Amino acid sequence: MQESDFAIVGGGVVGLSIAYGLLCKGKTVTIFDEHDNALRASRGNFGLVWVQGKGSKLPEYAKWTRQSAKSWKNFAAGLSDESGTDLRLQQQGGYSIYLTEQSLAERASDLQNLKAQLGGDYPFDVLGHNAIKKEEPHIGPKVAGAILHHEDGHVNPLLFLRTLSRVVRQRNAHLVTGKSVASIAPLNESQSSDSGFVITTADGAEFRSRRVVLCAGLGSKTLGQPLGFNVPIRAQRGQVLITEKMPPIINRPSDEIRQVDEGGIQIGASAEEVGADDRETLDITARLAQNAIDQYPVLAQASLIRSWAALRIMSPDGFPIYQHSRTAPGAFFVTCHSGITLAAAHATLLTDWICADQPDHYRDFNFPDFNITDFDFSAFSEERFNA
Amino acid sequence: MKTYDLAIIGAGPAGMTATTAACAQGASVCLLDEQQTPGGQIYRSLNHCDEQRGAILGEDYLYGKTLIDPLSTIDADQTFGATVWRIDENGHIYFSTHGQAHRIQARHIIIATGALERASPVPGWTLPGVMTVGAAQILIKSSGLITEGAVLAGTGPLLYTVAVQLISAGSPPTAIVDTQQPANYVTAAKYLPSALARAATLKKGLGYLAKIRSAGIPFYRAAGDLTIEGSTAAQALSFSHKGHTVRLQTDNVLLHQGVIPNTQLTRSLRLKHEWNRAQRCFHPQTSDWGISSQSNISIAGDGGGIGGAIAAQAEGHVAALGALQSLSLITTEQRDAGAQPHRQTLKKEAGLRRFLDALYPVPEEVMRPSDHTIICRCEDVTAGEIRSFVKAGCTGPNQTKAFGRCGMGPCQGRYCGTTVTEILAAENKLSHDAVGAYRVRAPIKPITLGELASLTGTGD
Repeated sequence: MQESDFAIVGGGVVGLSIAYGLLCKGKTVTIFDEHDNALRASRGNFGLVWVQGKGSKLPEYAKWTRQSAKSWKNFAAGLSDESGTDLRLQQQGGYSIYLTEQSLAERASDLQNLKAQLGGDYPFDVLGHNAIKKEEPHIGPKVAGAILHHEDGHVNPLLFLRTLSRVVRQRNAHLVTGKSVASIAPLNESQSSDSGFVITTADGAEFRSRRVVLCAGLGSKTLGQPLGFNVPIRAQRGQVLITEKMPPIINRPSDEIRQVDEGGIQIGASAEEVGADDRETLDITARLAQNAIDQYPVLAQASLIRSWAALRIMSPDGFPIYQHSRTAPGAFFVTCHSGITLAAAHATLLTDWICADQPDHYRDFNFPDFNITDFDFSAFSEERFNA
Repeated sequence: MKTYDLAIIGAGPAGMTATTAACAQGASVCLLDEQQTPGGQIYRSLNHCDEQRGAILGEDYLYGKTLIDPLSTIDADQTFGATVWRIDENGHIYFSTHGQAHRIQARHIIIATGALERASPVPGWTLPGVMTVGAAQILIKSSGLITEGAVLAGTGPLLYTVAVQLISAGSPPTAIVDTQQPANYVTAAKYLPSALARAATLKKGLGYLAKIRSAGIPFYRAAGDLTIEGSTAAQALSFSHKGHTVRLQTDNVLLHQGVIPNTQLTRSLRLKHEWNRAQRCFHPQTSDWGISSQSNISIAGDGGGIGGAIAAQAEGHVAALGALQSLSLITTEQRDAGAQPHRQTLKKEAGLRRFLDALYPVPEEVMRPSDHTIICRCEDVTAGEIRSFVKAGCTGPNQTKAFGRCGMGPCQGRYCGTTVTEILAAENKLSHDAVGAYRVRAPIKPITLGELASLTGTGD
């Protein structure tokens, strides 16, 4: 039977980032990834490494997000060194674009509050129409203005995913692909610490690991409950458009429109509560197209080559969940909807936490440019939803 | 929004016949086709065909007038130059004409979008100067343009048909390089009895081969290892033949390996599809009446599995009757009686098709191209790269996108899809049905953001 230090159940961006971090620490890792038609949040993402607006209701999350965004440069450089692939990371700032003065003012005031909570360290500018027009010459007359946050950026998410999967293989991760995991069971029912787990795939094959990280998106629900996790997550559909490759039109990404490094314009930012339905719809795609044209009128003539929809994995408050099992020690549940932004933190700090002897009480992080010495993981426990 | 009993997508033999048959029963019908005139690919531009072009293209082409002419006398909305780019389960159909988006609704839809040529991914196939045999025939049909000094390479009935048409046009091919193997005759022989119901068609085919022979065109049988040479454009075709390598200088190579169903619309609707081993392609699953896994959508013609123009015409009738019965516009008895003669046609055509499928199978080198051959021409992804994705854990076509942009170009995998499935099935040792196909999403043909945005607020 295959044995490893860690079993990672879920081979998307979240699972691969954690696997990479564990491999860097010298752990042995087995990664389980499903078949071709699995619902894959990692295939639907927008490639943003994004800070602005995140965490106004949970300052711990604002810190966490910013730390990850700051760490991305080193993280990407490390992956590039190992793989020879440039991930096209750009962190020259990003926008939220507004069509009315009122919505711009409301957003600016939200961010001012967050800035105050963070002790004044939150670099953003409010740009009026003329100012954004200077930065983005193709911006249209309907645009009232934008927030430019200097810590925002984007990456090529497909190159990132591909590089992660290549690098974990180079580091001898064991990949079990094209199979779904049927069950994860503690080896010892008596709850004594770290006796290990048996992972059984749908075809009956068994694998053993000392610890297990469950990051299987929507699949975490059925797998997680026997391990003592509540898994309070739901699917939220997001729809995305991509145009033909075009000459440079847009300099900086926004949370709704960006020009990918290959030239296509990616348009997104819809959110619907429709369950596990990943079909694209006419009404939403038409609205996304209209919004893009309102912001950049030149896009009216751009040729749309595909639309698609994917399911975000959302917790009740939208923030990540990092949970160590109370009934099956050594089992961790990880979920978030910002797998790209948080990848750098997941590969480093989060793997410190899940490697710790007593993760529930872990406080001390060993990471070069991380200066929060008392980072509180309990803020991300799913127990916050129990109240 | 206009609503109809029946909408028919595609005005080839299946779509034209279905339209005429449904109108005859009093249904309200809308026919949409991407081209400017009816006919589909097989009878393309027949309305504008002069005597000279007719002589080149032959009687099978001119036969299409018997399907096209009735369209001008029936009471159906017919829109040409209409690109259908989205169909919803609820019967909403979105299409564009002259850059303007429209929406209609139909209680039942017949998809008759026909076939497309199977990609022939051999080294150099993406070079300028290389086309498909079908594309060369489209040039003849639509503008009378004759490809001169061409080498035809591959196999299948269409290849011989176009060779004869080029001879008739006074520009015979300089050579025919046939990938069919002698063993194919042995395999096909057992289907010959069932094909004899179509003896006239077989005789016609033999006549084509005789015409090619008497024109003195060099004919290389059982060729393999096709490679098109050239750095910026095709300069030569080389291939193995009787144990030697032959190299033919040419700047015009026409490739052909048969046709496969165009499943873009049926895939975008997430209908159930299955792999056809004899024809080596996916097609949607249908009932005897052409009804798909979704009860308000039918498939007729080559889009539901390759049967040829005569079978497509019969299927158009059958699908129309099946749709009208399911809409309660005709009785079951009317349906069954009306379909009787067409079922007989279909039986005979199926016998012929089994024989042709065995006689002209897809060669190994097209199913499993060499590593350096480009497969996805939109994004320049080679067979070797796809195989390397498999080693990285890629089990299906949708993952090849994430691993290397394969299938992410403007054609949405229309051309590379079947080859990608073949490669993944072989590498992962899985069945083609288990490997599956690209997920196809709207718009199935590119439209502008402006066209899409014009429908804001009109959706459901």
